[in-house]
Parts: sequence; C-alpha cells; structure tokens
Amino acid sequence: MATSDETNDRVEQTYRRRARARIQSVGRRLRRAARPGWDRVRFARQDLTAAMPALPRVAYLFIAPFFVLFGLFLAFPVFYTLYLSFFEYQGVGEGSLFWIDLGPLYVEIPQIAQLNFVGLGNYARLLGNDLFWQSMFNTSYILAVQVPLMIGLALALALALNASFMRLKGVFRTAIALPVSANLVAYSTVFLLLFNEQLGFLNYVLSGVGLGPIPWLTSEFWARNTIIAAVTWRWTGYNMIILLAGLQTIPQQLYEAAEIDGANRWEKFRYVTLPQLKPVLLFVVVLSTIGTFKLFAEPYVITGGGPTNATITIVQYIYRQAFVNFNLGYASALTVVFVVVVSIFSIIQIKLGGED
Amino acid sequence: MRDQRRKDAVWRFLTYAFVITMVVVMMVPLYWMLVAATLPQEQFLQFPPRLIPGTAFLDNFAALQERLDFVRTIRNSVFIAVVYTLLSLVLCSMGGFAFAKYEFKYKEPIFYTILATLVLPIQLLVIPLFLLMAQLDWTNTFRAIILPWAANPIGIFLMRQNMKSIPDALLESARMDGATEFQIFYRIALPTMRSSLAALAIILFLFQWDLFLYPLVILESADMYTIPIGLAQLTGFQRIYYDQIMVAATLAIVPMVVLFLVLQKQFVSGILAGSLKE
Amino acid sequence: MSGINITELDKVYDSGTENVVAVESLSVDIDHGEFLVLVGPSGCGKSTTLRCLAGLEDATAGTIRFDGEDVTEYRASERDVAMVFQNYALYPHMTVRGNIGFGLKLSTKLTGDEIEAKVEDVAEMLGIRELLDEKPKALSGGQQQRVALGRAIVREPSVFLMDEPLSNLDAKLRSEMRTELQELQADLDVTTVYVTHDQTEAMAMGDRIAVMDGGVLQQVGSPEEVYRSPVNRFVADFIGSPSINLLTADVEDGTLAGPGGFAYELDDSEPVDGHERVSVGVRPEDIEVVESGRNAADVTVVEPMGNENFLYMEIGGHELTARVSPTVRPAEGSQVAFDFDEAALYLFDVETGDALKTKTDSVDSAVVGTTQN
Repeated sequence: MATSDETNDRVEQTYRRRARARIQSVGRRLRRAARPGWDRVRFARQDLTAAMPALPRVAYLFIAPFFVLFGLFLAFPVFYTLYLSFFEYQGVGEGSLFWIDLGPLYVEIPQIAQLNFVGLGNYARLLGNDLFWQSMFNTSYILAVQVPLMIGLALALALALNASFMRLKGVFRTAIALPVSANLVAYSTVFLLLFNEQLGFLNYVLSGVGLGPIPWLTSEFWARNTIIAAVTWRWTGYNMIILLAGLQTIPQQLYEAAEIDGANRWEKFRYVTLPQLKPVLLFVVVLSTIGTFKLFAEPYVITGGGPTNATITIVQYIYRQAFVNFNLGYASALTVVFVVVVSIFSIIQIKLGGED
Repeated sequence: MRDQRRKDAVWRFLTYAFVITMVVVMMVPLYWMLVAATLPQEQFLQFPPRLIPGTAFLDNFAALQERLDFVRTIRNSVFIAVVYTLLSLVLCSMGGFAFAKYEFKYKEPIFYTILATLVLPIQLLVIPLFLLMAQLDWTNTFRAIILPWAANPIGIFLMRQNMKSIPDALLESARMDGATEFQIFYRIALPTMRSSLAALAIILFLFQWDLFLYPLVILESADMYTIPIGLAQLTGFQRIYYDQIMVAATLAIVPMVVLFLVLQKQFVSGILAGSLKE
Repeated sequence: MSGINITELDKVYDSGTENVVAVESLSVDIDHGEFLVLVGPSGCGKSTTLRCLAGLEDATAGTIRFDGEDVTEYRASERDVAMVFQNYALYPHMTVRGNIGFGLKLSTKLTGDEIEAKVEDVAEMLGIRELLDEKPKALSGGQQQRVALGRAIVREPSVFLMDEPLSNLDAKLRSEMRTELQELQADLDVTTVYVTHDQTEAMAMGDRIAVMDGGVLQQVGSPEEVYRSPVNRFVADFIGSPSINLLTADVEDGTLAGPGGFAYELDDSEPVDGHERVSVGVRPEDIEVVESGRNAADVTVVEPMGNENFLYMEIGGHELTARVSPTVRPAEGSQVAFDFDEAALYLFDVETGDALKTKTDSVDSAVVGTTQN
C-alpha cells in the first residue's frame, strides 16, 4: 500500500515539475518576444532616473503625502475641536476670517463657522448635565463587563485552538472569526430581531427550556447586556485570531522546559503562556478598550439608546448634541472630555501592562 | 498512569465542547439572518420562529431594490473601501518605510505625534471634519469619505514595525545595484512586505466598511449611501420590512467574507510583527 | 591601472549628543588585482571602511580614489563596485535569475537578451545553472553564497567588496569556498577588499592583510609579515591561532623576570635598553618542552589533535599554550620544563605596546617569495 502511494507521489511530482518547467519555458519565450519593447521602456526609465536630481531629503518625500493628509484631516480637526469647545456654534460660516487683496492675487481664508465665545461655559454645562453622567455610566458599565468577557473568551478559544490535539483548527478559526465580516449595522439589526421579546429566536429557545421571556430590550438591565452580547459576538473571533498568532510565536522549548520542571497545565499557562503573550495581550486589550469606548452603531440601531437612556453611550450623546440639536460647541467640549478619559485609560493600561 | 489518561480525555472533551459551543453561538445569528432573508415577512414574523430556509429570497431582493437601490449601495461601499484601502496602503507603507529605514530630523517626535492619535477615537473628528467639508463644499461626496482617514495612524505604525525587520543589507544591495531610493521602496521593500500589507488591507478595509457616524453625517442623497447608512435608512421607514433588511444584511456580508477568506493566512502572520515590538 | 588609494579617511558618526569616531585617518594603497583582507575585532572600523569604499557611507574626511579617479563624492551605483554581504542579502521575492540580473537591468543599457546571456554564463561558471528559477528560500547556504557571488560577478565591476561573506557557512563549506573564492578572484583579476574578523581566514586568503583596531589601521603587510613582524602587541596577539603567549616581565641586567619565577636571560639586551618592564611574547609553536628547559610550568590540560598536541600550562597564575609534537604527552598536573629560542622571542613596550623586537630566526625563503608583493 505504502509503496504504491509513494510511487504515485513520485509520479505526481514528476508531472508537476514537468508542467512547471513547461509553463516557465513558455513564459520565458513570451518574455523574450516582448523584450525589445520592454528594453525601450527600461532605457527610458533609466534616462529619466538619471536626469532627476539626487534628493538628499528623500525621507521627507516618503512621509510627505501621509503627513499632508494627516495634518489636514487629523491634526487640524483635533485642534479645531479644542478651539470649538470654547464657543457656541451659530451656523456654517459665511464671512471671511482673513483676506488679502492684491489686485490679481486674492487670498481669502474663509471662516469655517460662526461662533460665539463662551469660555469654559460648555465644560461647566456638561458637568451639570444628568444625561452626560448617565452616558458616562452606561459606557463604563458596558466597558467593565464587555472587555474582560470578550478577552477571556478570545483567550480561552485561542488556547483551545492552539492545543496539540485539536483537529479542524482552520475550520473552527474561520467559523469563530466570521462574525467580524458582518456589517456593523447589519448585524445590529439581526440582533435587534434575535432579541425581540415576542418574536425573537432567543426567547423562543428560552421558553423551550422553561425560562420565561426575558425583556431583552425593554429592561434597563437586560438592554445593556444585550449590547454587550452583540459587541462580544462580533469581535471575539477577531481578537482570538490575533491571540492565536501570538501563542504560535511562543517557543516550544519553553513548554518542554516547564514540563521537565514538573509544571501542570495551569502552571504552564501561568508561568509560560501569560508572560510570553503579554505584549500581544496588551495590544488586544488596549485596542478593545478604545473600540468599546467608541461604541455607537450598536446602541443606535438595537436600542436607540433606550429604554429611558439606559444604553445611551457617550459617543451617541455627542452625536445627538452635535447633529440633532446642532450644539457643536457643546458637543466639542464633550468630545474633548471623552478623549481625555480614553487617553488616560489607555495610558494606565499600557503603564500597568508594561510593568512586571 | 491510567488516571492521568482519563483526566486528559475529559480535558479534551471539555475543550472540544467549548469550541463547538462557541462555533454554534457564532453561527446562529448568521444562519438566522440567512433564513430570514429567504422568508416572506409574514412567515418570518410568526411565532414560533421558522428555522428552515424558504424560497422568497429573490422576491425580497426585488422588493428591496425597488425601495432602495441596494446593489448600488453595495457598489458604493466596495468602491469607497477599495479606493480607500489602496490609497492608505500606499501612504502608510511609504511613511512607514521612511520611519523604519531612514534617519531624519525630528523623526522620533513626528512619529510619536502620529502614534498619539492612535488613542484618539475617530468620532472626535466628525464635528470639525463636517464643518471643514461643508466649507470645501465636499458634503455628499466620496472624496470626503475617503481622504480624511487615508492617513491612518494604525497603518503607519504597523508598516513601520514590519519594515524594520527588512535587513538593511537588502536595501544596500539594491543601492549598489543602482536602484534609486524609490525603486528600493517599491521593488525591494514592498514585495517582501506582502503579508503585512495583506493584514493592513484587512484592517483598513474593515475600518472603512464599518464607518457609520461619519458617512451618516456627510452623505445626503440615497444614491451615495454606503451599506451601513442604507441599512440604517431601511430601519427608519414607517413600516419596517425586516425581510428586505435581512436580504440586504446577507448581501452586505459577502465582500468582507471573501476578503477575509482570501487574506486570512497573511492577516495572522502580518499583524503580529506590529504588536510584538515596543 | 593603480587599484585603490585611500588617503586620510575619517568616518565620524554624529549620534546627536556625541561623536563616535569609527575610522581615523586611514591611508592604504591597494594594487590592481590585489586581494586585501581587512581584519580586526568587532567594532574596529573594518566594516565601516568597506562601506565607505562602497559608497554606502559618506566619508567624513579624506579621499578615496579608484584607478586614480576621486570617487569620494560618488554614489554607490556610480563607483563600479560590487559587494557581497554577510547574509547574502538576496532579494527574497525574486528568482536566482532575477537576483543576478537585477543590477544589470537597473543600471546598464544591455538588452534583455544580453542580460539573460550574461546571467546564464555566470550561473554556469558558479555551477548554479539549474537553480536559476528557484527562489533564494529554496537554496542551501552554500548555494545562496554562490548566488550572492554571481550577483557581484555579473556586473564585471572594477572592485569587489566582501563583508564577511563566509561567516554563515559551516566549517567544511567555509574552507571549500575560501579556496574557490581565491581562484575566482585570481581568474577575474579584480581588485578585492575582503572584511573578516577571523584571522585564520585573513591569513589564508589575503595577498596582504590590514589589521585594524579602534578605528585605526595598525599594520598592512603580507600574512607572513604581520605574523612574524607585528608592529605592536595588539597585532601580535590578534594574528595567530592559538594566540601568542604574553607575559609582563621586569628587566634586570639583561634578564627578563616574570611571574611564577619565570626568568630568561637575553643574549642581546639591546632591545630592552632603557625599559624597566616589557611585555614578552612567545608563539605556542616556539615553546619547546625539554628536560633542559630553563623554566618550568604546571600542565593543566593536554589536547591531542592527532598531528600535534596542545599543552595548556600555568606559570605564576598565567596560562601558557604550547604546540608540541604528538609524542610529547605529559600527565595533567605534572610539571614540565620548557624553553624557547631567543630568535623567536617578541618584546613589546609595556605602555605603548610598540614592538621592540620580533622574530629574527630565518624562514624557508620559498615561503616568503610567494607572499611577497
């Protein structure tokens, strides 16, 4: 049996090699035929290169395109938000902020918005606003439950799929990571229906095992957990993939050494896996935290922020203030506070994670 | 010895049980979405819920097309995401190359300024960007969606980390062979970065694919809608046609699944280099 | 044709806060067709020198001339040099054919067919013709090495630069490649500068070797010269394997008095005149273990090598190494008497390390003849 398999293999390899050689020789012949034309192109390019002056600051050329867009669309808005947070917005600008008229040369920098200076008024206002605190609380609650839950599941799955006895790794990995492909709004709508109290699949299953219908979307407590479930469903697999890749970089000798030292399963995890995985874990935790902080689409679609603002997130609150009520100045102040909070959080995580 | 073997068997069983449960949990909403897309609205809203696919997919699709040209919506999303991803890949790999392989003045301060914006949530920029776009008269345009995020901090960070692993000798060798700096970049550095580029492509594509708040603010007319905005509009009608929404959701998943399946391997190897160092 | 002239080359790295001198006023003339080996410990400036020659680093001061032409300001691609890197630096995404042809494609006006022909010729010469369509990953270390060489040869440069090209090969392959490289270089008659930290390699390959330390060129000469007549203690210590035995001794009326009762009476005390202390050097092969020996040492380890024995001995806490005939095999722990010829003795100034006396015994003239330039 084995020998005939080997013969088959050898025959197949021979065929494959011959096929490859044939393809290569055809490719070479084609290339040869096309060559005079290519040579002309090549020579033209060489001449062009030679004619170009040597650029001593070539590095700046490489970063310039990135930096122009970065400055215009990222750095400028950051500073403008800070600026805007001290003003009250009155409408899109019509007048000019600044202009030079030199006959044919006319430079005008238009005013972006009509603004009214209010100093720290917006900040004072948000501190006294109940809905602001409510949205902060909701976001913190979701964060405190969702991130540990998701990272825990992702890590457990990664460890399971990394186990030497596991079969069908690729299939399981793909299946578990597939939810990340679902569109944000699309999956939120699916969850809206799955968790529907009267018609939803989930309550149907629960009633099948004798549990009463759970008010997934109408109870304040359950509504928050519904959001948590949705976010966890989508992102667990994504994080699992990154952690799995991290696990695969841990040298096998470390486990063998631990085995010789008599470490059991838990001790191997605690003293080999965790310390080795730490940088990847930190990366995943920080990005997940930032991601959950920015939660917007899920509550927007699934609960609309309700019931009674129990799931309104901070970003959703900013959105309402900015684009429903057009309080752009106030919304900017909210944004500034929000960013400060997120940054502090990330820095603390990195600091804690960086130490041993 | 036998005791140990029994323990191992139990452990294996539990591990498999856990993984398979999670696979089921992950698959149920997707399966259910598929089923819902193939049922007429009345059957779909029945209780108990139907669990076997029906045959109304094409009818539902036709009804959806009539209300909102969803094929066009998908086309818009794919167009935006593809152009964005390509543009951003070019910018990030060029920038990352410079940060990884050249010495220049203020290199560190510039890089860490860019890195700091990694922490900033993109929603921060929606208000000023909206005002800026209004001023430029760019509202309701694709370029207003594509350009602002093309300079992606995660992208440049990832490319810098990965490009650092290219041996200097490789670049010097090309320099000796007479390559210009730009040729070194696109003929030597880029081709060796294939898996990193694939990983970054997934991240960028997913990022753009998921953008909701910003396009919601910028895009005004139905012919410009992206998938998230189109779907959100569908839920906003007086009567909500869930069957049509499910068709739309099912269609919307296809491009991302394709991209993900194609690039999955590279994603795994490509993303890591960026997270492991520093 | 006049090869390479390096005059007063300086290379200083500005790290922002401090200047690091990598190479300091280095001058050397390399003849056309010569094989010069730059050797020294790591960080001695040999690689930096090579990179300045290649044009990968700008010289801070000094001039570099190729065949009389000042190339100091030229870019790497304008210098007509080819370089072989330590890790071969093969382009991983190109086939062997692509790798070898890349330079021709970028910087010559040869047509595609001409390039193809040249690549095949070089591959034939190096015996890697059947590998032309493989990617570097599929090749063994030795094969990759050949591709790297092919990439340099195909461009027919006026200078070859090689940066530790053999250090990644295993010992057997390394010595094979050594010979092959030398033959190749002789056939092509291309001026070659070769960097290595391995003094054995330097001795075996170089027409002349240039020993560097701390950014300063210590000595240039034929292998025989630097071995027999090192200009200072550093060169004496660095060249030769096992390395020279060095002791510090007091000078007392023409007698050297070292640790552990070591004493050696000089017939000719002129080299040590005016010195109270000197460094004494004896090559391991010059130590003779004889009963009549004037000094004694304790044998710690005996390493039989088959054709010879290495004796590791101790005298006053100093280790001494001797290369002796395989028949000499004292018990470990025993004491042996040893001696050496005054003609084989090296003496160095204790402070400056400058040589006061080097080997003066005669050598078979035929050997000297082949290494002289």
